[in-house]
Amino acid sequence: MSDQQFVSVDSLVKRYPGVLAVDGATFTIPTDQIVGLVGKNGAGKSTVIKMLAGAVQPDQGEIRVDGRPVAIHGPRQAEALGFGFMHQELEQFPMMSVAENVTLGARMPRRAGALVNWREMYERSRELLAELDPSIDPRRPIDHLSIAQKRVVMIARALLARARLLVLDEPTTSLTDEEIKHLHSVCRRVKERGGTVLYVSHRLEEILSLTDSVIVMRDGRVVLSAPTAQTDRIKLISAITGSGSGQTAAERRRARRVGGRPQGDVILSVSDLASEVVAPISFDLRAGELLGVGGLVGAGRTELVRLIYGADSRRSGQVAVAGRLVDTSTPPKALAAGIVLLPEDRRHEGMVLDFTLRENVTLSSLRKFCRRRLPFPSRGQERGATRQMVERLRIRSSGVEQPVRHLSGGNQQKVVLAKWLERGANVFIFDEPTAGIDVEAKEEIYQLVEGLASEGKGVIFISSEFSEMVAVCNRVIVLREGRLVGEVEGDAVSERNIVELCYGHVGSVAA
Amino acid sequence: MSDALATTKTENPQPPGGASAAPRTGRISGARDALAKYGVLVALVGTIVVFSALKPHVFPTAANLKAILEQFSPLAIIGFGLTVVLVMGDFDLSVAGMIGLGSAVVVALMSKHGVNYLLAIVIGLLVGMAGGAVSGVLIAFAGASSFIITLALGQVYNGFEYLITKQQTIFSGIPNAYAKIATGTLLGLSNQFFIMLGVLVIIFLLLEQSTVGRFMYALGGNREAARLSGVRVRELRMVGFMIVGVCAVIAGILITSQNDSQSPNSGTPFFLPAFAAVFLGSAVLRPGRFNVLGTLVGAFFLEVISVGLTELSLSTSVILLVQGVILAAAVLLSRLGRASA
Repeated sequence: MSDQQFVSVDSLVKRYPGVLAVDGATFTIPTDQIVGLVGKNGAGKSTVIKMLAGAVQPDQGEIRVDGRPVAIHGPRQAEALGFGFMHQELEQFPMMSVAENVTLGARMPRRAGALVNWREMYERSRELLAELDPSIDPRRPIDHLSIAQKRVVMIARALLARARLLVLDEPTTSLTDEEIKHLHSVCRRVKERGGTVLYVSHRLEEILSLTDSVIVMRDGRVVLSAPTAQTDRIKLISAITGSGSGQTAAERRRARRVGGRPQGDVILSVSDLASEVVAPISFDLRAGELLGVGGLVGAGRTELVRLIYGADSRRSGQVAVAGRLVDTSTPPKALAAGIVLLPEDRRHEGMVLDFTLRENVTLSSLRKFCRRRLPFPSRGQERGATRQMVERLRIRSSGVEQPVRHLSGGNQQKVVLAKWLERGANVFIFDEPTAGIDVEAKEEIYQLVEGLASEGKGVIFISSEFSEMVAVCNRVIVLREGRLVGEVEGDAVSERNIVELCYGHVGSVAA
Repeated sequence: MSDALATTKTENPQPPGGASAAPRTGRISGARDALAKYGVLVALVGTIVVFSALKPHVFPTAANLKAILEQFSPLAIIGFGLTVVLVMGDFDLSVAGMIGLGSAVVVALMSKHGVNYLLAIVIGLLVGMAGGAVSGVLIAFAGASSFIITLALGQVYNGFEYLITKQQTIFSGIPNAYAKIATGTLLGLSNQFFIMLGVLVIIFLLLEQSTVGRFMYALGGNREAARLSGVRVRELRMVGFMIVGVCAVIAGILITSQNDSQSPNSGTPFFLPAFAAVFLGSAVLRPGRFNVLGTLVGAFFLEVISVGLTELSLSTSVILLVQGVILAAAVLLSRLGRASA
């Protein structure tokens, strides 16, 4: 491993109206390393990446490559400098084969002047894929690949375009543990080939296990830049949050949760609920209880809660709230019965991006703001209620009439939460409420969820981070292949127990 | 934070200024914003100034303004209806067919069956509602594409119209009271103008002030999020098509009342201008958002162009050319302002 500086950024500043997104960020990226980049939502990571990609220009400061200052005005220049990017939203051509996706955008070998030498292109992509992930057949349509494999294809595409610096933005979002391991090994292979990886993630575990060095950003500045071996989880968290306490939310809550909570009557009773993908499932939820639903991606967790809420059509089954059978076959009916669902994909299912904070927060409780019996809501009252929510949930925005599109992920999630709190319900279902949001916002969301339970609401909590479920839930039911395969309660709620149930006792993944 | 890099799903139909721009800085973008917001209004004023300069004794007169206000009313009413469905992301291409069918039903009932004109109008409006309900069931409940279904239904309405009228113009047997609806005046202005204002007020209250309108905009912005928020998506979309149907029949009544006759295909000339008015309007006042006041401005603009060009005694070919160019230029102007940096 060499200590040669490959890319360095010096005192970068980027201002947006009303926001100082990057405030003098300085760091260097050595060659042949995997460098982690972490920080809260809004810390300035994505602005820095956009500057490397040429999507935005710095107001001040400079970027140097191999010691020479460069100006990056667009994606072509970024590519010419050897930068390759993999964003969360994959930019691919779904109708084409893997090989075509890999070779598109690369400098194509020519034949007879203008024609593309396709045979050579295919050959190159085949070699590259064989090296990165032999399980991917270059002839298959890209649609047939898993998300993880598609990401590997994106990496291959960047490498074929001679990328020396590969920027991966949250590459492991919504991947299973196995897929994550595999993606990590692909990253290591990229490094062996002499490539450098800038790895952006909210998951500190993978930053610690994968990277050679780590950069932490906070409020637009670099607050920590060190070899990974010299840091640990606690140091990273305190650098990310800026607070002295490195104790994780999980650890704190664990300490608090002794003997569980007092629990009330059964508030939600699900019996024999089934659909195409969910086998008949029955369970009860008590008032004041925080029930986790565990399982691997694809085990049917999201499908189950969507059935309860009437978001998808069911084949059979009944739902009772507080002992009374209720019709929850459509979302309006479920709402009337006192059940709300915070959906998994907040951008596409949770909110209207072009609506303002106010319009999103009051969307499900609009009739409350109507005077007399007329169907005309009072905007003044809506604003008042939204301001209260903004304060209560500490939503950071420039005002209640701002469109939610420009809020950070964590603040957007809080807006969706605010919508349901404004509406009120007896049963709150949260599907991946903390996905893709920063440590501090996560903590705030845990507190909210706990607050609801302590008010006597029933709460169902789904998370792919089992440590989070362990920290938050009194009881966890586990699904596998659409079936309820087990349940753990009280002190038995542990990551190990949940994982064992997820995989079944055969082939336990404790290793 | 990585969310900022994500692209969003775009939904048809998109207003021309619909692309939301990243935060921008500087004086240039300020000028762009102003262009986006006022581009169409500036073009409208410019057009009026040009016509007034070219025809100083004809164009800028009270009589001419009255004529424009009268003539643009049916167009605006159709535009108001279309605004409602476009807000929800649906198209209704059956509108021209419904103008013809609705007016044929009303006129034939009076002329051939001697039905009282008020009753005939009520029946006509019910036909419009029923047609909209059929579109709504097929599109919102059965999940068909609004584009194709309404195209097909427009053809069906045409067929029914011909069945009723045998493709003949109906002149006789239309009561005087019916003709008075469009030709009568109040305070010196055409009744048509006041009927248009009435429809405008109702649809404005619906879209901009009521809970229903909020839900309609929500489902237009993100249908799945609206559904999961408890918005009755299917019912609202159906209501939208019913509103278009009723607006189409009202326009059909005004057209036939004005002409004192019903001719085949009377809706066709309104089809493109009505959509143009709505899209132009989405670049006015609240750029990037279909809105009914914008539609009003859009329809007025189109009528100003058409009246002004006619008064310049230009040939039809020139009128079509100029209309098209002005429309494209106005939309581009607003689009320019919204192009992200």
